[in-house]
Amino acid sequence: MYSLNSLNTDEVKFSDMRSAYGEALVDLGTENKNIVCVGGDTTDSLKTKKFGEKFPDRLFNVGIAEANLVSIAAGLAIAGKISFASTYAAFIPGRCLDQIRNAICYPKLNVKIVVSHAGLSVGPDGASHQQIEDISIMRSLPNMNVLIPSDALSVKKLLQKAVKTSGPFYMRLARPSTEEIYGSNPETNFDIGVGNILVDGSDISIIACGTMVATSLKASNILKTEYGISCRVVDMYSIKPIDSDLVCKCAKETRGILTVEEHNIIGGLGSAVSEVTAEMYPTIVKKLGVRDKFGESARDEEIDTLLDNYGLSPREIVKNALALIKSEKR
Amino acid sequence: MYSINRYLRLKEKIKEIRKIALTGIAEAGSGHPGASFSAAEIMGSLYFQIMNIDLKNYSLANRDYFINSKAHSAPGYYATLALSGSFPKDEIKTLRKLHSRLQGHPVRYSEHQKNHSVPGIEYSGGSEGIGLSVSIGISLANRLDGYDNMVYCLLGDGETNEGQVWEASMAASKFRLNNLIAILDRNKIQQDGFTEDIMPIDPVKEKWSSFNWDVVEVDGHRIEQLITELLRKPKDKPKIIIANTVKGNGIKHMANNPQWHGKAPSKKHMPILLEELEGEYMISPSIIAGPTGIDEKSLIEKIETAEKYRSEMIHLDVMDGIFVPNTTFSHKTIKNIRSVTNVPFDTHLMIQSPADELDDFIDAGCDILTIHSEVCKSEKDFETMNTKLISNGVSPGLAINPNTEFPQWAIPFLDQLDVIIIMSVNPGFAGQKFIPEVSSKMTKLIPLLRKSGFTGYFEADGGIDLSTILNAYNAGCRIFVMGNAIFGSDDIQSRLKETRLKIDTNLEQQLLQKSQSLDIKDDWVKGRKTVLERFQLGVLP
Repeated sequence: MYSLNSLNTDEVKFSDMRSAYGEALVDLGTENKNIVCVGGDTTDSLKTKKFGEKFPDRLFNVGIAEANLVSIAAGLAIAGKISFASTYAAFIPGRCLDQIRNAICYPKLNVKIVVSHAGLSVGPDGASHQQIEDISIMRSLPNMNVLIPSDALSVKKLLQKAVKTSGPFYMRLARPSTEEIYGSNPETNFDIGVGNILVDGSDISIIACGTMVATSLKASNILKTEYGISCRVVDMYSIKPIDSDLVCKCAKETRGILTVEEHNIIGGLGSAVSEVTAEMYPTIVKKLGVRDKFGESARDEEIDTLLDNYGLSPREIVKNALALIKSEKR
Repeated sequence: MYSINRYLRLKEKIKEIRKIALTGIAEAGSGHPGASFSAAEIMGSLYFQIMNIDLKNYSLANRDYFINSKAHSAPGYYATLALSGSFPKDEIKTLRKLHSRLQGHPVRYSEHQKNHSVPGIEYSGGSEGIGLSVSIGISLANRLDGYDNMVYCLLGDGETNEGQVWEASMAASKFRLNNLIAILDRNKIQQDGFTEDIMPIDPVKEKWSSFNWDVVEVDGHRIEQLITELLRKPKDKPKIIIANTVKGNGIKHMANNPQWHGKAPSKKHMPILLEELEGEYMISPSIIAGPTGIDEKSLIEKIETAEKYRSEMIHLDVMDGIFVPNTTFSHKTIKNIRSVTNVPFDTHLMIQSPADELDDFIDAGCDILTIHSEVCKSEKDFETMNTKLISNGVSPGLAINPNTEFPQWAIPFLDQLDVIIIMSVNPGFAGQKFIPEVSSKMTKLIPLLRKSGFTGYFEADGGIDLSTILNAYNAGCRIFVMGNAIFGSDDIQSRLKETRLKIDTNLEQQLLQKSQSLDIKDDWVKGRKTVLERFQLGVLP
């Protein structure tokens, strides 16, 4: 169980998912010499450069050519490597869908696609760079696993699992530093196809992923302290395969489910959760996310406001949670 | 060094690729004959000669890799794999059907796809433009692991419209991948029409050169050219072989015809089409003939002429003055002239003691060495020579003179022989007349030897010219030695053209007759219209 109070104090630590990725890759590469990485003129930003500094012959920078990037990663996997393909989220899932589908997922190759700068929180670069369709796209590919870590520690833990599990993975990271959710619980277990209950509750469930997990924890704190509502918060870092048992448990044990994601509400986490409830335990699933439109630029200090405008702030979550509880439908 | 392992057997196997592929496409009712046929020599050369692979042990770490980026050539690819031992060739009849291992486009073979693939397939293709990038990944991994294996990537020319190909092209030269050879099947046709109309890719050589690749150009249906370049590994950069091919090559109404990019022939037409594929022949000009003599300079001139006009082989008549009354040249001459061409040397040993000199003739670079049955002292004697030829990658041949019966002792060797020469003159001199009785000898002997299990070539040698060639062709000969008929002519190019026209017209008539006997003539004539017109057979109803 997590201390809600620590999340609302100045003692909250922030750390950077990308740096965690860069460090983890070096560690994994030290343990396993079969790990290689392909980058696309963004190795500094993705922190894969560190891996290249440690293993100069195992990082391949192919320049600004993402289709080539992911396909080379496929070739490396054919020849027995565990290959990481990394650049910005904006340039892989959409641009390289064909290559990922045919060259990676169809033959079920051991390629781990790790992208950063996903969601609205990219900020100033604007909508062209705010990838809000990737979960939907990647989730629809047979054989693909989709992971969305919520903080630096979970990045490292999930990378270990992804390396141990044969087959294609898509992992999406955020650009800004994020709150350390698991900082005080470094022994937390992460498994593919499993979600973590961070805070238990009996009235409603919030199922979130990525940066929205911290936001949801804040909302749950407000709901408890200001409204006396007991709210369960789930970190659904494994979007595919999804923890359908946990989704059903939430549907059964609480009055409704709220999903929160930095993603279009079409096809993302909310859809994945609804697919489970619709078939297994019909219940109301209120989807918080980008409501089928594009984002816009915002300076770093404006990102919270940007997210709030798109319904992705603690206050917006609280508002929707209250509405959900009042709703008579189940 | 230039070397083909058993040239004639390779030719036979590549013919088989086309037959199996077409059978599969006709059974499936869909598929791509054009691409399968343009790439048949490329895939055959790779799988049957060049690549270090073991389809029983298909995942060996240091194996050579073949990435078929133009995956719509699947039927030809499957046929090649079947002939390499991947799966039984009869399974081609399941192509593109439900529950088949032979999917419309090939699927990488692995535990999770073993019901939809066959051993040896490395890459799931179908979406164009990806395979070269994948090949780069494999090459990088191989280099990292310190292997000296090669990656061969087959690209379609239409496929290079895809921008990703050029991303890959840049990357391969950046990484100086000298363990990567791409082969561009330059058949000049894509689905909507000719490449230069749809999206021009010329000047193709200059494009790849400017991307810093080692670029060579070959005739993609000449295996000796392909093999020479596939064996020549690049030094410090990737290499691309621009293989000029004819889409649909092998079936005349499909050849160079955009309509046959992705269309299946009717099953009813298959017996005719297989007969057409069986009709393939080779001309082997004998360079001792003609007025210019047999000094090395003249021989070289004649070789160059023969090569220029696309002769399939060069026939070398070696005479020792003992077995035959005349003397021509020795293995030394052959060794001296070998470097002039990579067109296969079809060497006919008219010598009394071939066993004594066999090593020298092998060393001289002969692709085919034919020994006279008359000089074989015993079955054992022949066996020793035959084994030596095979173990040195030379196609073994056996020749019989006009008055010699095919020796009984040779019957057990039929499955090891690649060619049988049925002499139609008594050897010893150029310029003799075809002995008419040999026609009936051929007509009797050839089916008999086929029945006994001989699958190689019959070669006609002696007095073959425009007036006699069809006798030999219709009896079943598919290699024609022509001496004075070619080099005695004032216009060698026209003479060769006339010769080919004669054989082609004859075959066309036979196919037409076959369609009549199968009661599908109208249908056949409809699909074959332009070809029939070309041979002036279009007037038939």
